[in-house]
Amino acid sequence: MSADITCASVKGSLALYLYGELSFDDEERVELHLDACPECRVALDREKAVHAEFDRCEIQPPPSLLRECREDLRAQLDEERSMPRPARVSWWDGSWLRPAAAFALLAIGFFAARVTPRYTSSEPGASRVRYVEPASGGRVQIVLDETRQRTVSGRPDDQQIRALLLAAAKDSSDPGLRAETVNILNAGAESAEVRDALVYALRHDPNAGVRLKAMEGLKPFAREPGVRGALEQVLLSDSNPGLRTQAIDLLTVGPTENLDRGIVGTLQELMSREDNSYVRERSQQVLHLMKASAQTY
Amino acid sequence: MLEPAALFQKSDVTALIRAAQEGDQDAFEQLVRAYDQSVLRLAMNLLRSPEDARDVYQEAFLRVYRNLPAFRFDCSFHTWLYRIVTNLCLDHLRKRKVRKEEPGVLATAEGPLDRMDATPEQRADGDPQRRLFSGEVRTRVKEVLGQLTPRERTVFELRHYQGLRLRRIGEILGTTEEAAKNCLFRATQKMRVALGDFV
Repeated sequence: MSADITCASVKGSLALYLYGELSFDDEERVELHLDACPECRVALDREKAVHAEFDRCEIQPPPSLLRECREDLRAQLDEERSMPRPARVSWWDGSWLRPAAAFALLAIGFFAARVTPRYTSSEPGASRVRYVEPASGGRVQIVLDETRQRTVSGRPDDQQIRALLLAAAKDSSDPGLRAETVNILNAGAESAEVRDALVYALRHDPNAGVRLKAMEGLKPFAREPGVRGALEQVLLSDSNPGLRTQAIDLLTVGPTENLDRGIVGTLQELMSREDNSYVRERSQQVLHLMKASAQTY
Repeated sequence: MLEPAALFQKSDVTALIRAAQEGDQDAFEQLVRAYDQSVLRLAMNLLRSPEDARDVYQEAFLRVYRNLPAFRFDCSFHTWLYRIVTNLCLDHLRKRKVRKEEPGVLATAEGPLDRMDATPEQRADGDPQRRLFSGEVRTRVKEVLGQLTPRERTVFELRHYQGLRLRRIGEILGTTEEAAKNCLFRATQKMRVALGDFV
């Protein structure tokens, strides 16, 4: 996407934007354009409406079908196990071939080493040439700045892994990375440190998909003051109606008589500013259940 | 999106695979149960036929069973399994394209079921006019899903309903992230055009 972005190119990118599949730069350009262009914001709302329609068209297989599939598979596997496995003869099984094959591998290695250039870098990572200078004997000396990729693995609650995950959750360059990280962090949301990261993502992440995932992880903690504050912020200021709706659901989960009356004021404030008919309807339902009016007088 | 086996740690899945590779039948069954709901959901959404979805389910897990001893963790198990499932679904879709069939009504143990009626009606319950409108939209979505190419449809399903990243979808379909992105772009463009009057 070029820097001089047009309405047409923004409109063409909205689906990928909602999926969080634009590059950081493109996402930035689209958002800057959206801030300044009411027409494209209308197009974005339309795109969100299209996505919502897709969501409604997802099919869930009936439980009986899964049960039948499992039973069929079990029967097929029993049959499979009862059949004698054919003896598999591979070229490697021929013991006479082994010395010949080993020799061939050695030969390939030897000749490959002879014909391969002296310097090759197959290590993953990025490199940048910093200096180039002639060296003796017609050779050249190149100084590279290299960034090597490194893989670390461990359980999500290992201290080092957790620190990396918490940092990745705020990585502004890649919404996909943040979404996957928040997903993993969700499983450890009983930790206050993780919860704080999820609350931060819910309040500040520019990508609606990431915010939605953070909200999923915070679901069991909706009554905690920090989480509750974040949910109220979503309710009153998040641009995504789906998130606003879910925030209502989380803030009003449980028997009506146990609900904090403080939510009434928030919902009344929402009613005074909400444009989305479904969110208004949902909010009104809750206010009705709580025997509160939709307006403040 | 969480992988289907979200309840398992990655190390648990690896342990299950290794045990199943050594012939542990319980481990194989646990592995199936960790993934089979999402496999069935994917097959059902792509093929919209319980019979075809059931065939894909059986064939996919039989292939996994037969080839698991050769699985060398070159990619994640999830990617490998989904590659098998999407290849089987693509075969079905391509055959169906040739036959020009598109079953709309599903025969299930609970009785005949229209694909679109199988989806929960979350927002339109109380309003007959809105319910009618939603029904029209769903009919239109159903039509346009049938008009997507098998690959567009697969990429769309994997991205929208399975929530997989395009990078992973590329790995599953044996293509690049860019090609998967183009496919998704075409699919959403077609869907948007088809829904033009409704939203």
